[in-house]
Amino acid sequence: MTTHTRHPRSQTDQSTTDTDTETNTETQPDTRPLLEATNVAVSYGDVEVLESVSATIDRGTVTALIGPNGTGKTTLLCTLAGLSAPTGGTVEYLGPETSRQIGYLPQRPSFRPGFTVLETLEFYASLVGEDREKALERLELVGLEAAAGRQVEALSGGMTRLVGIAQATIGDPPVIVLDEPASGLDPGMRGHVFDIAGELAASGTAVLLSSHDLGLVERTADHVLLLDDGTICRRGSPATLQETLEVDSLRAVYEQSIAGDLHTVSVRGERS
Amino acid sequence: MSTATSTDVPGSTTSDRVRSVFVRELRTVARTRTFLFLGLVLVIAFLGLAWVGGGARAGYVPTIVDLLTPIELLVPIVAIAFGYRAILADGNRGELDVFETYPLEARELVAGIYAGRAIGLLGAVLIPLAYVGALVAVAREDPFGRYASHAGADSPLLFVRFVVVTALFALVVLAVALAISALANTTRSVLALAVVALVAVLVGLDLALIYGLDAGIVSESMLAESLAVSPLSAYRGLVFETIVVTAAGTGPQTATPLASVLGLLVWGVGSLAVAVWAVGR
Repeated sequence: MTTHTRHPRSQTDQSTTDTDTETNTETQPDTRPLLEATNVAVSYGDVEVLESVSATIDRGTVTALIGPNGTGKTTLLCTLAGLSAPTGGTVEYLGPETSRQIGYLPQRPSFRPGFTVLETLEFYASLVGEDREKALERLELVGLEAAAGRQVEALSGGMTRLVGIAQATIGDPPVIVLDEPASGLDPGMRGHVFDIAGELAASGTAVLLSSHDLGLVERTADHVLLLDDGTICRRGSPATLQETLEVDSLRAVYEQSIAGDLHTVSVRGERS
Repeated sequence: MSTATSTDVPGSTTSDRVRSVFVRELRTVARTRTFLFLGLVLVIAFLGLAWVGGGARAGYVPTIVDLLTPIELLVPIVAIAFGYRAILADGNRGELDVFETYPLEARELVAGIYAGRAIGLLGAVLIPLAYVGALVAVAREDPFGRYASHAGADSPLLFVRFVVVTALFALVVLAVALAISALANTTRSVLALAVVALVAVLVGLDLALIYGLDAGIVSESMLAESLAVSPLSAYRGLVFETIVVTAAGTGPQTATPLASVLGLLVWGVGSLAVAVWAVGR
């Protein structure tokens, strides 16, 4: 992944910087972004999915990516998570050198059948040198410790998603990317998932998530990126966006900002 | 494949991560009933063939001759069954994407998967052969010499040699299966590729050699070495040259053992390299 660069600091440099940072945090908060995308473009053949997208993901915040279906949210998340290289522009990870820089929850999380929930998380935890106890802590974080002994194939969709979120936190990555973490969940579970995102951000993690639940985004997100037709058409805090457009909800911001028909799926590369 | 800091990270070394993947594969193999079923099929098939063919009563080398052709067919099928979905299934579930966010290199993943599946495959192939060895020891009508130090001697050590060569063959086909699993994108394509690989291993490369000989591409003087190009011919050649000829005395050279071993190693290592490349692309 040549375009997904890492911070060039050595371990020694980093520890020095971290010490400085700890000292500085007493006087002023660290406002450096952990992830920076500059003029990112992604094309599949002739189809341009993303065009000149720039964004920063800051520590200790929840950044929500919203937008209509088919507008490139998952593509952008995958690119920012370093899973696929952009065809143009750069994505830079600017956080500390850790065993795992970015945690990731896919849109449809799925795990190898035949294993219990705890065994599954234990396996992932072992890849970063964590043990069974730490795996259990991840389960407790998402409130799923009671299902530790259950086979992953016997979990409901919502529970599987929670296991996926627990997996995304393994190794305490500075950045966590969650692709539609609340999709297909009941209202209670959706709120729970967003609460977890808020808790992670409160502990200093940069959380980037995509969602169609604008109410929860409005309640939880510190920053909103509104993606439409492959570009970011609005950005800012939910309050700022509402103030700018003089509306009283994020839904109204969404409806005013989307260029196309809200009831038709816009397919990139296809023009009717 | 990893976007995270690879090689050794605090609390996790390359060997730790390979071991983690290896244990996961081993558990998968142990918990998959299909693999147990395949092992049972081989037990029944090998014992049945050794008994019905009369080899078990005649000695180890006659048993090897009786088993050779069925093994040439059955072992590749079982090896492909053990490996063809090993990597693809992780990819289909999106777990390969998730692995990219861990400090897990493609070579570490492939090494762990291969080692885990290899243990399962060797269990499925070697345990039935061990039963056959025991059957011959019990059923053999004539006493045998312990060491095959001269032509015409039968020996359990020759059977052990056969087991080792068969294990090598199985491991090579497993490596081919992993390469297929890493190259394929869908279950349908992996099935098609698996069938193509089986046909190529079982008959395709041998036919190509015959064509090459007929067309003058392969010279007769180089035929023994050329057989190493096909994993099946390399295996068969090794069995004949290191076991059957040893027991039966002199005869025409059927293969070059060194070339055969090299041919199998190239197929095995080359296939694993392809798998690593395909996972990391």
